Amino acid sequence: MGQVTLRGIRKSYATVDVIKGIDLAVQEGEFMVFVGPSGCGKSTLLRMIAGLETITAGDLLIDGIRANDQRPADRGAAMVFQSYALYPHMTVAENMGFALKMAGVARKQRDEQVGRAAEVLRLGELLGRYPKELSGGQRQRVAIGRAIVRKPKVFLFDEPLSNLDAALRVNMRIELSRLHKELGTTMIYVTHDQVEAMTLGDRIAVFNQGHVEQLGAPLELYNRPANVFVAGFIGAPRINLIERPPVSGAAIAHQALWTALTSQTSTDAARIGLRPEHLHLAPTGEGIAATIALAEHLGDVSILHLRVDGVSDLLHAKVGANLPRCEAGQSVRLLPDANWALPYDANGRLIE
Amino acid sequence: MMIPTARRISPTWAPYLFISPFLILFAVFGVFPLAFSLYLAFQTWEPTSGLAAMQYVGVDNFAFALRDEWFWKSLKNTAWLAVASGLPQHLVAIPLAYFIHSSFTRLRNGVVGAYFMPYITSTVAIAILFSSLFSTDYGLINIGLQAMCQVPVLGWFMPQDPTDWLGQPENIKPAIAIIVFWRYVGFNVVLYLAALQTIPKDIYEAATMDGASRMQQFWHITLPSLKPMIFFGVTLSVIGGLQLFEEPFILTGGRGGSDQAGMTTAIYLYRMAFDFNDFGAASAMSWLLFIVVAILTWLTNRAFRPRGPSA
Repeated sequence: MGQVTLRGIRKSYATVDVIKGIDLAVQEGEFMVFVGPSGCGKSTLLRMIAGLETITAGDLLIDGIRANDQRPADRGAAMVFQSYALYPHMTVAENMGFALKMAGVARKQRDEQVGRAAEVLRLGELLGRYPKELSGGQRQRVAIGRAIVRKPKVFLFDEPLSNLDAALRVNMRIELSRLHKELGTTMIYVTHDQVEAMTLGDRIAVFNQGHVEQLGAPLELYNRPANVFVAGFIGAPRINLIERPPVSGAAIAHQALWTALTSQTSTDAARIGLRPEHLHLAPTGEGIAATIALAEHLGDVSILHLRVDGVSDLLHAKVGANLPRCEAGQSVRLLPDANWALPYDANGRLIE
Repeated sequence: MMIPTARRISPTWAPYLFISPFLILFAVFGVFPLAFSLYLAFQTWEPTSGLAAMQYVGVDNFAFALRDEWFWKSLKNTAWLAVASGLPQHLVAIPLAYFIHSSFTRLRNGVVGAYFMPYITSTVAIAILFSSLFSTDYGLINIGLQAMCQVPVLGWFMPQDPTDWLGQPENIKPAIAIIVFWRYVGFNVVLYLAALQTIPKDIYEAATMDGASRMQQFWHITLPSLKPMIFFGVTLSVIGGLQLFEEPFILTGGRGGSDQAGMTTAIYLYRMAFDFNDFGAASAMSWLLFIVVAILTWLTNRAFRPRGPSA
């Protein structure tokens, strides 16, 4: 129960294609995260699965049954909205029981099911309250409770934590993880926050301009991004992308950096990607010369923004805190870890 | 240019000066008539004999009004008209607003404008228009009814002879109610449209996911969300309906129609003052009417009080 299969799903408004053919299979009980920049179509796709948007072309299968033309309520999907979308004139209990009421479930049974869901989410004391009497975190829990009560085959989350403050977001993330383990129900979760994506997802689908750039487990995406878009989108600070130096007239530092990076991988790459934590500082006399343009000291680590002669973009390095000589304007020597270098071809695809 | 100090208004008085146009107008046309009518309610006065002719009579005017058959009749007429014209206004305006809200996009403003038009049209023009429509021999309404007599089955329910809308006592009130309904329904549509726009779209989406049909969404989401505006609209209708004057006044030639069938309380107290020259009794009646309006407004408030904690 709870398999969602997308086959060649497309969505267009008039002449504008928003979703450009998505093939994706969400396994039973899986926590699937759709992540991507705003406007990439991730929310639209979620709403298409929910039935709030029509599907222009392709097939949506839920548990093997084509759901394209099913009513939203018949698809067995429950949605949690970013704005919570609680009914303001109903109490928490009425909010949670509304779907059951619409389905014609008797009052006694309804109260029982609502009570059980409230227990799971520790909402028991709030059942008689109205949404406006609740804090943001409580409202979010009620919204999730409303989804749970329906016992759906699949949960759809549309950026559910975006309206919460940072501390609460961490708590809710943990709670969502716990809930997923407890219920074992398939969940599809849309977010633009890569921390949420990395921590929650069994698998992540990275969206860009209406198609999936890469689908995989969080660390797979982080360590082996299939293209420069995924490489750049996942990870903060951003991955370093170093261009191949020109055949003649390349700056010495640029050439040295390239040579160091390509020592372990194929040499026909157009660009090399290297995560900031794999760019180390070297003792004086070794490594490649660079100047610190900006140093951000976060306490546990320091982020250095470095200028290397001949490389157009600033390079980022994540180094240990409290290292000497780490202020803006100072010269340092760099030692890239070539084992982690990711070679990309001229089209931005990872060379395997 | 510098204003000489002597001509400057002191900062203490400047705000009062700026607000004085309103205060003066309100005092002259608001506070004074209010206080004067309360004073008059306890006097007997023949205005043509001058202010000196006033005589204090205690609560005699109120006692007279409460014993006056016509006053009670006018109250009944007013209540009948308020219900018959007011209730359908809201029963039609709410679904109509919902329909316009959900089904029109580009044409919306035009449609709303068409419904709103009667509200801003002169009462005299409306009365002339409806006098012609309701005319016994050549009125469009009677012609239409006659035509429907030819339709099988439906014809059985249609009057065989032309109806005398504005002459027969039993027809006057329905005719007035239709006009009042027609005139104010657009205003209420605008009210409810404004309220509908404040209901977030995702609540409807959540209800869709919860399996509520369009009808159920209207019943469980839209109506409860409209409650504050229904309270506001019904209050306006109660207050306006109980003071109904212009439409029946013009349609019945200022006398309330045959058998006083179209005589509202407002018309009666107008006639009491200006036809029968009894300003004291007229003032007493106006205050009695005020008490009725106040009670009904309070009841409306009770009926539509929002559920749960303070709204």
